[in-house]
Amino acid sequence: MRRPLAILLSALCAASCMDFGATEPEPIYDDSLGLFITCEGNFMYGNASLSYYNIEERKVENRVFRRANGADLGDVAQSMTIHDGRGYVVVNNSGIVFIIDPDTFVITGTIEGLTSPRYIHFVDDGKAYISDLYDPRITVYDPRTGSIVGHIETGDHPSTEQMVQWGDYVFTNCWSYDNSILVIDTRTDTVVDRIEVGIQPTSMVVDRNGKLWTITDGGFPTSPYGCEAPSLYRIDPATRRIERRFTFFEGDSPSELAIDGEGGRIYFINKDIWAMDVTAENLPAKPIVQNTGTIYYGLAVDPLSGDIYVADAIDYQQPGVVYRYSSEGVEIDSFEVGITPGAFCFKRP
Amino acid sequence: MTIASTIRTLLAAALAALLPAAAAAQHSETIDIEGVEIVGHRPLKQIGIQSTKMDSLVLKESISLSVADILTQNTPVFIKSYGRGSMATASMRGTAPSHTKVTWNGMSLNSPMLGMVDFSYIPAYLVDDAELYHGAGSVGVSGGGLGGAVTLSTRPADEHGLSLRYVQGIGSFSTYDEFLRASYGNDRWKASTRILYSSSDNDFRYTNYHKIKQPVYDAEGNVVGSRYVEDRNRSADFADFHILQEAYHNTRSGHRIGLAAWYMSSHRGIPKISADYRDDSSTRTRQNENTLRAVVSWEKISGSFKAGARAGYTYTDMLYTYSYDLTGTGEQMREGIHSQSYVNSLFAKADIEYALSDKWLFTADIALNQHFVQSIDRSVIVQDGSSAVIGYKEARAEVSAYASIRYKPTERIGLAACVRDDMYGDSFTPPVPALYVDALLSKRGELTLKGSVTRNYRYPTLNDLYFMPGGNPDLRPEKGISYDAGLSTHVRRQRLDFSAAATWFDSYIDDWILWRATPKGFWTPLNIKQVHSYGIELRASLSVTWSQDWSLKASGLYTVTHAVNHGDPVSVNDASIGKQLPYIPVYSASATVRLDWRKWSIVYKWNHYSERHTTSSNDLRISDSVQPYYMSDLSLERRIATRPLDLSLRFDIRNLLDEEYETVLSHPMPRMNFGFYIGITPKFRNAAAGRY
Repeated sequence: MRRPLAILLSALCAASCMDFGATEPEPIYDDSLGLFITCEGNFMYGNASLSYYNIEERKVENRVFRRANGADLGDVAQSMTIHDGRGYVVVNNSGIVFIIDPDTFVITGTIEGLTSPRYIHFVDDGKAYISDLYDPRITVYDPRTGSIVGHIETGDHPSTEQMVQWGDYVFTNCWSYDNSILVIDTRTDTVVDRIEVGIQPTSMVVDRNGKLWTITDGGFPTSPYGCEAPSLYRIDPATRRIERRFTFFEGDSPSELAIDGEGGRIYFINKDIWAMDVTAENLPAKPIVQNTGTIYYGLAVDPLSGDIYVADAIDYQQPGVVYRYSSEGVEIDSFEVGITPGAFCFKRP
Repeated sequence: MTIASTIRTLLAAALAALLPAAAAAQHSETIDIEGVEIVGHRPLKQIGIQSTKMDSLVLKESISLSVADILTQNTPVFIKSYGRGSMATASMRGTAPSHTKVTWNGMSLNSPMLGMVDFSYIPAYLVDDAELYHGAGSVGVSGGGLGGAVTLSTRPADEHGLSLRYVQGIGSFSTYDEFLRASYGNDRWKASTRILYSSSDNDFRYTNYHKIKQPVYDAEGNVVGSRYVEDRNRSADFADFHILQEAYHNTRSGHRIGLAAWYMSSHRGIPKISADYRDDSSTRTRQNENTLRAVVSWEKISGSFKAGARAGYTYTDMLYTYSYDLTGTGEQMREGIHSQSYVNSLFAKADIEYALSDKWLFTADIALNQHFVQSIDRSVIVQDGSSAVIGYKEARAEVSAYASIRYKPTERIGLAACVRDDMYGDSFTPPVPALYVDALLSKRGELTLKGSVTRNYRYPTLNDLYFMPGGNPDLRPEKGISYDAGLSTHVRRQRLDFSAAATWFDSYIDDWILWRATPKGFWTPLNIKQVHSYGIELRASLSVTWSQDWSLKASGLYTVTHAVNHGDPVSVNDASIGKQLPYIPVYSASATVRLDWRKWSIVYKWNHYSERHTTSSNDLRISDSVQPYYMSDLSLERRIATRPLDLSLRFDIRNLLDEEYETVLSHPMPRMNFGFYIGITPKFRNAAAGRY
């Protein structure tokens, strides 16, 4: 009786062992001039990833966070910032910011206690702000103690996105069903003003003349919040007044405002990739990079070389592709990264 | 006149011709028989149709399972389950969940907004008959079943007199189940009430390999290593209540009248994924649903005629919320997402069957659904701090007409042709034709060849057309063409019953509706995908009765499904062309063995899915696949008969080999867990002893 039972149990085990479990970390090291690409992954699948591109050798390493740490990056990697030799990766639907060594990609800390974080901005070495999709507050974080030290109420603006700084003021755009840029006084950590722009400002930069630029997507038809032609705005952050509005055609979808290292040229996606001098009085007539029949999802400009990096999410269910172009729009390289590449972060040695 | 309009005219003529005949037939002599079985073992109605009928014993004994579990174990359908008490959708022959049409007592269960059915909301306890129609076989049930169709139905209890059954279950993770059925019946009247309440904290522990390791300290507080955290399946509690009321009456003149009304109230937490670092009190996602379905039916069999009519109503309200608490205490939750939908649907159907002789059968039906839906997504609009509603409110009428001719020129050959036409709103799908052939190759072993072909269409759902933002009113119906052919055999001996079947299928779907991102950031549906799906389905079952004390039943399934994307690349770098669709396993298998000895039963279930890719390009470098799945469950039952009542005790062990696994990325599943059920059936006068 024992033998048939043993055979049965062995057969059961042979036909039933599932291969699921730990991922062993591997040592990785790259201290080169590089570019991080945060790949969102698919919502609720927890398959966000971090890719690293060696700019000089034109070599890409994918899933560096997981490989270095033996753990997943999480759900919807939204953005990354490097400050004081540490990388801060904001993972939106995991409610966490990972602090990593940018050369080894190994975790050195975390910021938890967040609702739906989007971006982190360092005011100075002792203070950082974290914006949020649902929390009507901006979290104030002290990188020296590694703790959350306060919150900035944003009132009727429950959703905050990117942040840029001009002097003692940080400006944050409110995108979701909103038309505002909030002005935060970093000395008091309070919202002190609001600049009204068009419907749904998506992104912001500050140019070499100290002007604030933002681009709106104009909402969508049938939206109860309204729909209008998208626009590019040049704002004087001192007076907080709109200096110039460049209007696109209705139905256009401009997004992903970026700027070069000198702050003299802005770039954005509007089906194609467009570049425009910050002193220009009209929108450009020709794109710098023609669309290749896809929907571009992310854009960044290398502050040192001026090279342009464009992310293509393809169908959002497979490895995305990043194209690298010269500042004149000539293709230099292209490489595969993780699923839904959305944001970039340059690393300087 | 186009071919389409010609076919529509013929359909209308067929219906017009048959309906008065059916009405007239009501006055003639009737016989009261269970269903219409025209010819012996191969009824005309089943000519060429590939179908899998669920064993009614399996349904009765699966009291604590959902129909999703039943389909997983007993059919080639692949169920994508997000876990206990979470969404479970079906994929048949490599198609999408909206390509499997599901009816309950003849009324559609597919959501008019989403097109699919969440099988986790359908307890097996409320279903008496279930049948799966593969591919072309679905045309006789509904239009749009590009993968197939599932029919679920209730029927009068077998017992006469008063009968009562109560089952109580207790299981791992604070799971409690209560089942009660009270029924009364005589020759003319049958009434039954079924109540089910199932709740669970569903708070099982698992080792979380997705999160970063935590340091391990020694007694002095020094870090001596690290380990993965022991996490909990958080915010995943559920409480589902169902009540099903049925009443049936057979008149002296042979009319059958029935009523079935089913109300469900469900409160479920959407479990946090394993990559979520927020604690339970800071964010919470929940889904609450109330649904009422009611169907009244009339049926009359008169000689060669059978006529029936049904009318029904469905009400559903569903609320999905995402809340957060800025204090972190869980006591001051605010809503970030408040998404509510309402569905009111009216249903009417008439059908007739006319057997001209034992060689000819004509059937026709016409069904009407009138949907009223409202989708409301409340968001805060900031300028004045007020809120506004994003959503849509639409009504749509859907009409589906069907006619078929079935002919058996010889005892061994059967032929059938049918056509269906669907109207939605003010649009028509092209006519859906289907042809079937059936040949008895050998009487010995009942070796039968079956084949079918159909051209089918599925029209867009209301969300596809009107969802805000992104709805696309210019969508075309998806179109599919499918073929299948198979051999089956059935051997019957005094103590042995063996059957087996092998089916090959091949189908193409064009204009597959897929939601794609737009430059504006939201998603919109487009007719873009082309899919070629092909494979084989094998099944076998064996029943042996050695003696009065010993009997054995065993069944097994094996399915190969290649579902390959053949659409146009969305960009030059698109690597998804020629690849298996995500979350469709190529291989799946299951086996069930039941051994009965006197009052004891032991049942072993085994189930397997091969690797499922999570990317459209099947790329493993940047996203894991879901690893091959093997599951073993065991249950032991003892029946005790006493004078006043019958008792039944059952002990279930699920995940017998204590596996750690996921069925969807980042959605953990429980390790070995248990359930214990006690069933009580009081013996009233005239009541037959039963078991659950």
